[in-house]
Amino acid sequence: MRPHSGPKPLSAGASVEVADFVRTYTLTGGRTRPRHRLRLETVLELGPGRPGPALPLECEQILVLCRIRRRSVAELAGTLGRPVSAVRILVSDLLDTRALRVPVPAADSAYIPSSDPAAGNDPSVKLLEAVLAGLKTRFPDAYPQAG
Amino acid sequence: MPVSRPDSPMRTPRPGERPGSGGAGRALRAVGGPAVMKLVVAGGFGVGKTTFIGAVSEIPPLSTEEHLTQAGAATDHLTGVEHKTTTTVAFDFGRLSLDVPVPLELLLFGTPGQDRFLDIWYDLAAGAIGAVVLADTRRLEASFTAATFCEQIGLPFVVAVNEFDGAHRYPEHAIRDAFALRPNTPVVACDARATSSVAAVLLTLVQHALAAALARPAHSTDSTLLDA
Repeated sequence: MRPHSGPKPLSAGASVEVADFVRTYTLTGGRTRPRHRLRLETVLELGPGRPGPALPLECEQILVLCRIRRRSVAELAGTLGRPVSAVRILVSDLLDTRALRVPVPAADSAYIPSSDPAAGNDPSVKLLEAVLAGLKTRFPDAYPQAG
Repeated sequence: MPVSRPDSPMRTPRPGERPGSGGAGRALRAVGGPAVMKLVVAGGFGVGKTTFIGAVSEIPPLSTEEHLTQAGAATDHLTGVEHKTTTTVAFDFGRLSLDVPVPLELLLFGTPGQDRFLDIWYDLAAGAIGAVVLADTRRLEASFTAATFCEQIGLPFVVAVNEFDGAHRYPEHAIRDAFALRPNTPVVACDARATSSVAAVLLTLVQHALAAALARPAHSTDSTLLDA
């Protein structure tokens, strides 16, 4: 049945969304801001520390996932089916206890996006050349078509 | 071409954003990871973004959710208080690892289909190599916003026309006219289901981004703050 227009109680869809929102922030102890600045693409790997006691299930799952391989914040959130904002807070807790850490490229600094604010976040020429070479090696049969 | 990505005119500061708050502290970092790069796959609802990402991703595309707090449509004019609503928006995510010549991880982010969630587009595009604006020939207009967004923030992009079976094929100049593209913006045809075809689009995009990076004045003059 189509909903009527005009004043009405919360629709079923809206209350589901509110319930999900409440559940998410129960998970994070009511916090809505992480202590660390974590981008969608920030990659996490297992660290040397031990997580604190009484860990939420989702933190355990994050550690299991990162034990298999390093994963980005976006991938963790998508795999757990939790919003990015909640996963950022959980990951931030795990960084505090050093149960997780952020790996940085071992290659020379040209492969790391510049930290110079004047250069913004633009990927370096050297990095783009590496991506191009990597794609050509991985997909030797890729052929561009004219539009 | 505007290079002022951090402070482009379209940009609105997001809640929780503090200037100068860096990444996770140095002590929490460990050397030894691959370089991580982002690519954005943009375009209207139903143009094949998930399929496109799935064609090259080593994991099945994930649908990742984010909560957005937005000013509600209705404003209480008596008190001047804006109602804020929280909506859930989902974007696609995929991953592609490259080993040669150096370990690299390409993260593929698909924009939400609805144009109204621009806040998250900025998050997805921040620091990205560039964007693929995927278009469906049956309704090119569904992808116009994506192309405009890329132009406004100065993100290199290519238009990839997803040629569904039986779809009408336009000559390249018709696509260019419809999108009002700059002459150097590449237009390619692709089949979003075919790995080699999607890989070719990514190659075109990275080549284009490389040309744009080489043309950027900052490249030759190191760290001149041109936008100041």
